Amino acid sequence: MTFSRRPATSQTGRVALKRAGGQGSPVPFLIPALLIVFAVLIFPIVFSFVVSLFDWPLSAGGGERRFIGGGNYVALVQDAEFWNSLKLQLGFIFIAIPLELLLGLGAALLLNREFQGGRVIRALILLPVFFLPIVSGMTWRFMLQPRYGALNNFLLMLGAPEITWLGDPVFAYVAVIIQDIWRMWPFVFMLLYAGLAGIPTDVLEAAEIDGAGFWKRLFRVILPLLYPTILTALLLRIIDALRIFSEVYVMTEGGPGMATTLFSLYTHRQAFGYMKVGMSSAMAIFLLLISVAFAVTLVRKNMSLEKLEDQGGNR
Amino acid sequence: MTLANRRKTISAAVMFFALALLLVELYPIIITLLNGFRRDIVILSGQKFSANQFTLDSYMLVFKNKQMMKAMGNSILVGLLSTALSVGVGAMAAYGISRFKFRGRNALAYSFLVFRMLPQMSLVVALYLMFRSIGLRDTIAGITLAHSSFNVPYVIWMLIPFFTAVDKSYEEAAMVDGCTRWTLFRLVFLPLVAPGLVVAAVFAFINSWNEFLYALILTGVKARTAPVAISSLIGGDTLTWGQMCAASTVMLTPVFVFTLAMQRFLIRGVAAGGVKG
Repeated sequence: MTFSRRPATSQTGRVALKRAGGQGSPVPFLIPALLIVFAVLIFPIVFSFVVSLFDWPLSAGGGERRFIGGGNYVALVQDAEFWNSLKLQLGFIFIAIPLELLLGLGAALLLNREFQGGRVIRALILLPVFFLPIVSGMTWRFMLQPRYGALNNFLLMLGAPEITWLGDPVFAYVAVIIQDIWRMWPFVFMLLYAGLAGIPTDVLEAAEIDGAGFWKRLFRVILPLLYPTILTALLLRIIDALRIFSEVYVMTEGGPGMATTLFSLYTHRQAFGYMKVGMSSAMAIFLLLISVAFAVTLVRKNMSLEKLEDQGGNR
Repeated sequence: MTLANRRKTISAAVMFFALALLLVELYPIIITLLNGFRRDIVILSGQKFSANQFTLDSYMLVFKNKQMMKAMGNSILVGLLSTALSVGVGAMAAYGISRFKFRGRNALAYSFLVFRMLPQMSLVVALYLMFRSIGLRDTIAGITLAHSSFNVPYVIWMLIPFFTAVDKSYEEAAMVDGCTRWTLFRLVFLPLVAPGLVVAAVFAFINSWNEFLYALILTGVKARTAPVAISSLIGGDTLTWGQMCAASTVMLTPVFVFTLAMQRFLIRGVAAGGVKG
């Protein structure tokens, strides 16, 4: 944004602003946002913590609320299904995200040049990121149906036996991961592509003139310069993957059995399946602490206010 | 091979590879779009695609489905309300953060960003209990408020750079004229950051439009939004894939149009933690 018609700056203006700044207070401008944040973020978090200290049945008919201190947390540690959901969640993060980073980086390197239709292709590749999460989950569920699903259609053509993909614990878990990779690697691509475009071309040309081969340029020049962007992408993906729910919920409903009951799905099941709101809240607090740890790291490392202010209004 | 020829070959190879990549990425989307124009029975029988299967039946069923139409109406209403609320409140807060110097300014700005990244699952059970006890469950007001929990911090973070970019001389000139901070905000800043308001509003609307978990838990029959209604088209004995695809296409259209129209702002919009349901 450039403002061509700028009012003349004057000494009196500066003094007037300073005086107003001295008298003026940001509080009236901040209060509405703070009220909302308090009502729908801070209070629910505190309330969650309180609930997590109770044996708290969802419906009134489920019995009395009873204070049990850390009882829910102890019960969680002893709950095999809790460990199972944590294991599935970590597996999901450790398999999906590295692959998304690799694919995103590879595509960014490859498409970071002029070629016919480049602009259009780069724009269209991003569409899955904006695919409604539940529609993505349901479309994958549809494609993996036995008999009429697209994948089976194709395999039957090749003479393979019919497989109920989402009925098999291992395949269902893999399918959930593939769904996420399909949907989110373009997100990594988008960030890294912008990062690459930000590397001055003369730096790359200088390396090329010095006779550095592709791999040398990649590891010695490109990756070090791209590191902050890669870190941002990684942290954003981790924070996002920690809370995955809707895609998996509509795709497999956490099944078969508990095979795809990732952390949020188990938290949901504790509250609305087993009616144990206290247990569910204990899980919610656990997830919250992990997410906050990653979010604070991200914000501290890569999203300083100064950096944001430097962006100006046009990027 | 001359250099020019070599360049051409590489460019062609890259384009070929990019097209292949694009095909994989678009395949599930194309499947969704196409199946909206087929009958459920045709889909379930596993027939190959052919032009003579084309029908608007699934769309007609979706548009005649009162519950689905109500849910879509709710989605629009909740999207508009929560966008208006977040942009109004968020613009004020972004102004407060970017144009005033005060203690704890950084901490406040950062906490808004951290709030945007909290998992919804961590909040929804508490919100459910709260809303149930004060009668906000299954109301438009309730789900709007719930959506503001991610949209308000989001809008603030999106708008800060736009407010910072405004030149100080505007403020100074207005102060000489004796403007109060409030008039300054309304009459000077809001028009200057208007493009930012539009971008933030579009992304806030999409955030709300795509949201599933809050809608699933915090609404019932009355305030149900479209993602929940669509998800109920599949499950158990109901396998109305045609309607699911038709309704999904209706939901996807505005999102894709906005996405393609907003290329320039996508990165910031997404990096601020947007878009995810």
